[in-house]
Amino acid sequence: MPINLVSADYAAILPAVILIATGLAVLIADLFVTDDGYDNPSSEKSHLVWIGVCGAALAFAALFVPSGLLFGAWSENGVASGSEVVFLGALRLDAFGGFAAAIIIVAAGLTTLSSGGYLAAQGQNRGEFYGLVYLGGGAMVLLAQATNLISIFVAIETLSLTVYVLAGFFRKWKLGAEGAAKYFILGAFSSGFLLLGMAFVYGATGEISLAALGKSTADPYLMNVGLLLILVGFGFKVGAVPFHSWVPDAYQGAPATAAGWMAVAVKVCSFAALIRVVVAAGQGGVADAAIGKMLAALAVVTMVLGNLAALNQTNIKRMLAYSGIAHSGYLLIPVVLAFQGTPDPKVGAGALFYLVAYLLMTIGAFTVVAMVSNGDTDREELESYNGLAKRQPFVAFAMTVSLLSLAGMPGTVGFLGKLTIFKDAVYSGPYLYLAFVGILASLVSVYYYLRPIVAMYFREEGETIEIVENNWGVKLTLVLTSFGTIALFFCGKSVHELSVRSIQSITG
Amino acid sequence: MESVNILSILVFTPIVGAALLAFFKPKNTAQVRHAALAISSLTFLLSLGMLWMYSTAMGQHEDGDLAARGSMQLVEFGEWLPSLGVHFHLGVDGISILLVLLTTLLSPLILLSSWKAIGDRVKEFQIAFLLLEGGMIGVFLALDLVVFYVFWEVMLVPMYLLVGIWGGERRIYAAMKFFIYTMVGSLLMLLAMLYLWWHTGTVQLIEHGIVNPETGLLEMMPGLLEVLRTNPLEPTTQVWLFAAFALSFAIKVPIFPLHTWLPDAHVEAPTAGSVVLAGVLLKMGTYGFIRLAIPLFPHGTEVFTPWMLGLSVVGIVFGACMALVQTDVKKLIAYSSVSHMGFVVIGLFVINDLGWVGGIIQMVSHGLSTGMLFLLIGIVYERRHTREISHFGGLAQVIPVFSVMFIIATLSSIGLPGLNGFVGEFMILLGAFREHQWIAIGASSGVVLGAVYMLTLAKRFLFGPLVHEENRNLADLSPRELCYLVPIVVMMFWIGLYPKPFVELIEPSVQLYVDTINK
Repeated sequence: MPINLVSADYAAILPAVILIATGLAVLIADLFVTDDGYDNPSSEKSHLVWIGVCGAALAFAALFVPSGLLFGAWSENGVASGSEVVFLGALRLDAFGGFAAAIIIVAAGLTTLSSGGYLAAQGQNRGEFYGLVYLGGGAMVLLAQATNLISIFVAIETLSLTVYVLAGFFRKWKLGAEGAAKYFILGAFSSGFLLLGMAFVYGATGEISLAALGKSTADPYLMNVGLLLILVGFGFKVGAVPFHSWVPDAYQGAPATAAGWMAVAVKVCSFAALIRVVVAAGQGGVADAAIGKMLAALAVVTMVLGNLAALNQTNIKRMLAYSGIAHSGYLLIPVVLAFQGTPDPKVGAGALFYLVAYLLMTIGAFTVVAMVSNGDTDREELESYNGLAKRQPFVAFAMTVSLLSLAGMPGTVGFLGKLTIFKDAVYSGPYLYLAFVGILASLVSVYYYLRPIVAMYFREEGETIEIVENNWGVKLTLVLTSFGTIALFFCGKSVHELSVRSIQSITG
Repeated sequence: MESVNILSILVFTPIVGAALLAFFKPKNTAQVRHAALAISSLTFLLSLGMLWMYSTAMGQHEDGDLAARGSMQLVEFGEWLPSLGVHFHLGVDGISILLVLLTTLLSPLILLSSWKAIGDRVKEFQIAFLLLEGGMIGVFLALDLVVFYVFWEVMLVPMYLLVGIWGGERRIYAAMKFFIYTMVGSLLMLLAMLYLWWHTGTVQLIEHGIVNPETGLLEMMPGLLEVLRTNPLEPTTQVWLFAAFALSFAIKVPIFPLHTWLPDAHVEAPTAGSVVLAGVLLKMGTYGFIRLAIPLFPHGTEVFTPWMLGLSVVGIVFGACMALVQTDVKKLIAYSSVSHMGFVVIGLFVINDLGWVGGIIQMVSHGLSTGMLFLLIGIVYERRHTREISHFGGLAQVIPVFSVMFIIATLSSIGLPGLNGFVGEFMILLGAFREHQWIAIGASSGVVLGAVYMLTLAKRFLFGPLVHEENRNLADLSPRELCYLVPIVVMMFWIGLYPKPFVELIEPSVQLYVDTINK
């Protein structure tokens, strides 16, 4: 079948193409240009950081070009105009994908910015790191736009491969190797589930398009089993309980900034794809209502177990990993509501807005972890943070802002995120209990989010903490994340409106 | 004057000020202290401006009906997150205005009191304190439930830091306990708010105008109070929602048996923390009852009234008994707070004009007298580094001015006629006597016990022989210390001798509320 590419096709893949090109450019630049001698992994290589950040900025700008992904939703009229199916249904040009892409792109930029000094201090600053972030980022952006089973699967596999490598990027770390191996095996396993599920769904409908999930003529048995398997596959990707066992190990073994990247970007694109799937499946097809209940159960156990497991962690990366699991639980609430398809077409907006908050606070927290765990020594234990506020007031402040935001305290955008999600749950009627569980779970979470704050502010310094101090990139990242976390609380209006319009571009 | 958003300015002056302080050099402590004091003094002046604007607005309604005189004034309705249905909605009425003034008055005084006491991380202290001040003012002014909740929680963090960083030996335990206790209550309140939001479709407390996006015209939308009046909630729902709100407020007040965090927090907190806790933070609980729980859920209130009254009487007697046996002065005052706040709760739950006006006056009085007691204890603690009562005695011979101040604060706390404590307690008891005689009788026993433990304290502290030689060289109050004590003493006598202006400020709003509830 011949494909006639029109401008919409180009506009749709422009951000992903820019990201991938950036990844390649970084890899090539690392070959030729070096600060001091050929390939010194202990130098900061700020030229790579610059190329990456510029690429991210370009990709971000590409979302807003005329007929770009977010152009329609951003402009005045308030209607998400210009959602078009492109590449024969493989992708869709809409604001929903654009919104998710924007988060991924910003995450890529911030990860790059914060990694230079950290990787250099670890003596592991190799261009592949950035290359993998951007190549993976391109795949993630495509996943957020993907609307048929094949493109979803291909995007997931591509991005997963890059993330497996990033998880084990520190080759000398035993934990890194262990975490990456676990991640890879379980990831491959989950891809099997996903693929099997897709095969069943294809069998039920005879089509690979996501829209076919809503077909009323499909075979209900095959369709429901297939959907369930697909959900299991996504459950692995987002780290929902009981498919979460890889998360703490992978995060602990990964470089801190890569852990932040994994936590944010993988979650964003997986949730975007998951929401597309459940919205399509929920639209009057043969999908059984029991799937909604199962999703709700998944949300409940994820919120509860994630938070309870985090309570006991003394390693900050593991704690943030369990907190990431818990946040997947909160994010599953809008997924449940989107499946239920309440009359209000903007119920999924909570997920998008929450992901923006999650981006800022998670990258902020992992950047601080990166700063503190400078050098060879193990600086991920909670005691390493004792007395940090005295020596490094700004770093401690940025960490506090991130943690309070993760806990959902007002004054930070994390609160607004939780508020939107819980409000939607209460409004939905039957799933009111999800808000109840979520609120109780966040109460539990307050305890462990406060523990680093106690260490930083209330305890006396044990050992002198040397941190990646004079690195401009790290500092800038922290300024951006902590400022963004607070500023979006006060002026989150336009971002929230954009998230509402974005979700309407697929539900309304 | 319509164009000046005095309330937003009032809320944001300390918050923006705190943000600006962040750019000061931490080494330059004197500069930071002066700047913080200037900001909080400016806030106080602004609050006087608010009082003036409020009185002017009242003056226009001199002969108007109750609804005009008692309703919210200086209302601001700004955009925050319109797509979520949350607006920045502020207003002030007779119920809240005195509490705002109490907050803005105490704040500069507290900063002045910690001039020497806080020597470590001065900048952080000033920032935390100003944020706290902004949060407190915001709670009293908020007319949007979400905004109310935001300010309610925002206060938590700076207070937590105040206790945790500048506190005593067991500060981490006390700070954690304080945070977790408050969080339990407030998250349940959040859930109840969300339910209410879904049920009524609004989180605005009072009627407000929203520009319709389609027609571009301003439409008046009813607030929660109006919606629930015309269309009340199911009785069982009301009971549940009231319980959720009440739990949160009861923890804050604190009502027996949820008070256990308070002695810990008080003892471990630095003087500034204790004063602000006793002076303002506890009042947020009782304010929450007046502003939200009682008017929104009349049936829930009815169901819970016997419980609240009973627990308050128990709290009054229990707090007083506990105060009798304490050896640490701060702990004694902390338990006396439990006892005194019990009176306020009784005043609120008898639901008549007298009880409410008395309750609000008592909130202010308790803030002044207990705040002053904590300031005085802070002063001796700075000199002697102990708070054990047995380490003192005969101080009147050495530091007479201090002793006079201490006696005034003691008498005010006991409720001696002519001082502020009497006015509120008397009105509350009078109001309670009209509705539930036994409750009033039970509560009165607290007044007697209060006299016993406070006078015993004064006796052991100030009079008798001077047994400890270390106390012989204690310095009397410095000019700075007088500076922050005298305004409080003036207010004490003013309220005690001539409470009319205060009562007149409160009364129309209280009448309006009580009338609508009893209808």
